[in-house]
Amino acid sequence: MILQMTNIEKHFGDLEVLKDISFEVDKGEVVSIIGPSGSGKSTLLRCATFLETIDGGEITYMGEKAAHTGSDGTTVYVPADRLRHFRSYCGLVFQQFNLFPHYSILKNLIDAPIHVQGRSKEEATTTAMELLDKMGIADRADAYPYQLSGGQQQRVAIARALAMKPEILFFDEPTSALDPELTGEVLKVIRQLAEEHMTMVVVTHEMPFAKAVSNRVLFMDGGVVVEQGDPIEVFEHPREERTKQFLQVFER
Amino acid sequence: MTISTMFSTMLVGMLRSFAVFMLTLVGSLPLGMVVALLKKSRFGLVRVLVNAYISVIRGTPLMLQLLVWYFGPFYLFGMNIGNWRFPALILGFVVNYAAYFAEIYRGGIESIPVGQYEAAEVLGYSKVQTFMRIILPQVIKRIMPSVTNEVITLVKDTSLAFTLAYQEVFSLAKQISASQTSFMPFVIAGVFYFVANYVVEFVMGRIEKALDYYK
Repeated sequence: MILQMTNIEKHFGDLEVLKDISFEVDKGEVVSIIGPSGSGKSTLLRCATFLETIDGGEITYMGEKAAHTGSDGTTVYVPADRLRHFRSYCGLVFQQFNLFPHYSILKNLIDAPIHVQGRSKEEATTTAMELLDKMGIADRADAYPYQLSGGQQQRVAIARALAMKPEILFFDEPTSALDPELTGEVLKVIRQLAEEHMTMVVVTHEMPFAKAVSNRVLFMDGGVVVEQGDPIEVFEHPREERTKQFLQVFER
Repeated sequence: MTISTMFSTMLVGMLRSFAVFMLTLVGSLPLGMVVALLKKSRFGLVRVLVNAYISVIRGTPLMLQLLVWYFGPFYLFGMNIGNWRFPALILGFVVNYAAYFAEIYRGGIESIPVGQYEAAEVLGYSKVQTFMRIILPQVIKRIMPSVTNEVITLVKDTSLAFTLAYQEVFSLAKQISASQTSFMPFVIAGVFYFVANYVVEFVMGRIEKALDYYK
């Protein structure tokens, strides 16, 4: 088990965004999270990657507890220096790429491994070039992000996350900011990673992709997991009325 | 008095103006960053004090501030202000310009998309690393035009040093003009300010160009 989230609660003011969600990911698993906007998918990802703090529940990575709710009802995170260790377990690919515009493509990939993980420049560069090669953009290593297409930028962002050698990679709607033409090249890369058994959690609106690539699909709505299971089952024989309703929109 | 004599008499004033200019920049550029960061402090009292400081500095004339820095210690503490003229002058300029630079920095810092912070956080950068490696370089690029504006204003503001009877180029121009009944000293002073600002524009333009390698 790589990640285990139990009874997660999250609210923004009065708005309950996550209501008692439990969610776990095994090694090598590819999990897709689908659902309408505002259902809490992204928030769940942001809680898992420590961008948001949970208001209740427990987060465990590789069997080590990162956060839990004590008997007095307050949620306690491990101290900041320990949290950095937990952060090294997970990578996140954003909808808007969020590459560092003032760094070349190569520097985007090697800066954190060198300055956060303390790797040697040679080692980091070798890893980075292998990753860029795999993403089909090794020839753009010296370019700057603004010189690349959206699809290329997102592939760099994936490579940047992988350069940290995470145990699990999260994707927050990785193709939503892309033209339909460019969506394919990013999905292809994610599919390739799935074939290599990279552990991944993908929040997506690309239903055919979710169906073809993932081992498990979660349908979220209103801050709860409405239904989850084998992708073929969920997509072709949804049990819940809400899931049917949601999927119908995509069939048209 | 020939023009060249006037010029050489005024040369020492030009050097004094330049000294005020350089010392103000060296002091206020970093101090402004400290102020900008304090303005984002999690302690409410610090934020209130910083906001009050910026309001007072921006809301009163620099000339008045210079007088307060110079005479204040005497009236408040009975301090002997014999050797206090130059320190008071530089303090007044630095504290004044730091407030303006702080506001420019703040605008720059706030214009960086939150996604940059989040990407850095997920990659495990510490707060200091995030600021120094990711945020600050982008801020510097964005604020260059505003900083250039402010630096050009500073070149001309150095003439306010005459308030404290500091013999910079403009004070000398007035004196020589009066004693020689000639308009020439003002022309020389004007050319001095113009050339100085031309150099500022050139240098800042070069820096902006050097930062043009990314968007």
